[in-house]
Amino acid sequence: MFEKSRGFKVFITIFAIVIGIFIFFPLFWMINTALKSPSKTYTVDLFFSSFTIDNFKNVLFDRQILTYLRNSLFVSFTSSFLSTIVSMFAGFSFSKFRYRGRASLMSLIMMAQAFPQAILLLTLYTMMQKLRLDGSYISLMLSYIAFVLPVGTWTLKAYFDQLPDSLIESAKVDGAGWFRIIFQIMFPLAVPGVISTAIYSFVWSWNDLLYSLTLITEDAKRTLAPGLVMKYMGEFNNNWAEMMAASIVVSIPVTIIFILLQKYFISGLTAGAVKE
Amino acid sequence: MKLTDKYVGYILVLPAIAIFCAIILYPFINSIFLSFTNKSFVSNEFSFVGLQNYKKIFLSPTFLQALKNTLIFVFFATALPFVGGLIWAIFLDLKFRGAGFLRGATLVNWIIPGASISFLWAFIFDTNRGIVNEFLKNIGIGSGTYNWLGSAETAMIVVILARTWQMLPWYMAFLTGGLQSISFDQIEAARMDGASNWTVLRKIVIPGMKPIMVITLVLGIIGNLQHFDIPQVLTAGGPAGATTMLSTLVYREAFSSYRMGSAATIGTIWAILLGIFSFLYSKKVARD
Repeated sequence: MFEKSRGFKVFITIFAIVIGIFIFFPLFWMINTALKSPSKTYTVDLFFSSFTIDNFKNVLFDRQILTYLRNSLFVSFTSSFLSTIVSMFAGFSFSKFRYRGRASLMSLIMMAQAFPQAILLLTLYTMMQKLRLDGSYISLMLSYIAFVLPVGTWTLKAYFDQLPDSLIESAKVDGAGWFRIIFQIMFPLAVPGVISTAIYSFVWSWNDLLYSLTLITEDAKRTLAPGLVMKYMGEFNNNWAEMMAASIVVSIPVTIIFILLQKYFISGLTAGAVKE
Repeated sequence: MKLTDKYVGYILVLPAIAIFCAIILYPFINSIFLSFTNKSFVSNEFSFVGLQNYKKIFLSPTFLQALKNTLIFVFFATALPFVGGLIWAIFLDLKFRGAGFLRGATLVNWIIPGASISFLWAFIFDTNRGIVNEFLKNIGIGSGTYNWLGSAETAMIVVILARTWQMLPWYMAFLTGGLQSISFDQIEAARMDGASNWTVLRKIVIPGMKPIMVITLVLGIIGNLQHFDIPQVLTAGGPAGATTMLSTLVYREAFSSYRMGSAATIGTIWAILLGIFSFLYSKKVARD
């Protein structure tokens, strides 16, 4: 694209080094600190000199953190599953049916992410209290589904758009019901879209802080992000080695999913904005 | 499309619409309604106070500071990762060995939870010989115990840096898509005419990427206007309100001070700001 002139080389080299350090050094420093003994936290030493996995042990044998971890896994898997189903139905409907109000419903759902989330909470909190759903995961999961809907619906609609209508027609001639058409015929063909929606949704639930901090108040039910914030916030300046280990532990599930399914993930990331 | 059973279409979209109405539409309308009342968090009784909340809010230094902070934060936390992400995307587009790996590794920053990112940056800028203080001391600047997060002048810088670190990969991913959509023929033709890198950038690359740049910027601004995690965990809005954003202020007014009416008022003003950008975004998407 650009001619590798001297000016270009100098420019790109300087900036690549600066940006490269900015991107990767903090991550390296987090891992490095988590792997060395707490007495070396404030030194510039690398972890080889006092290698230890005690920080990770402390985090992983902490019953409180294990509870948060289990809660997070449960909430994230369940809401990922549910929001993928809801998005799939909506995406299929928008793609293969024509009815009155379709266009306005589509733009309505598209807007879901643009509402300020904190202002919704003002009402949601009291609403969930009245419904006796406060402190229940149902309130959390419904919120996650709502926020994943725009990207999820759009991603899946784009996949269904590529599938020919004749597939549905011939299945109907064969006497297949809608349930079978969706799950046995369309679903297998839209798997990449389904995976990218499921991952997007999982990461959203896993990383959320605002809703989980507000809607879940009972400590035994807390998820990982707010749990760790509550646990360590009071003792800032103290146990950095353990905090770095905890930060790595909470990052590992999403990072693994991301590495395994990167291809789908990036298409999901850009789908909402670029497709259509 | 000849599918006759259009009711199936309605039924399929029903769960999505129901959840949307319950979680987003109704709470949104109700919260705007609350901004005209004096409702407190703890009691169910309230009365209408007209525009009183709005009058009070616009005279409140806390709100005005949060508004100013939000605008500063949105500007820098969008511009920095945008420019950084663009340069990084151009660099990785040089297609050297390992570029693909680096691109993947970059995205890890974006995927990890905001809570982790806040812990990490709090540690890097820690007062008692965090790595930044240690580095500055070694090159002869400062005593090595500067309180970055506790000083009003520097806390915002750390918040913006942490957010830049989190979002740079996201901008990179979008802008890489834009870079790869630019036609090589056009660049070749310009080269024949003796165009310099600068001319190619200005006359071909930027115009070619304009649609995706605009979308990225608008989405980035919407995201930053909404952003909560990093300022909340890193500084909880402090010191002395220096990093309080509209998002953290609404949260604090409602869930620490229990003033629903006032929280709803701030939220409504904030929603109007967001609405402007979302409107621009939907117009942009509709046009493309």
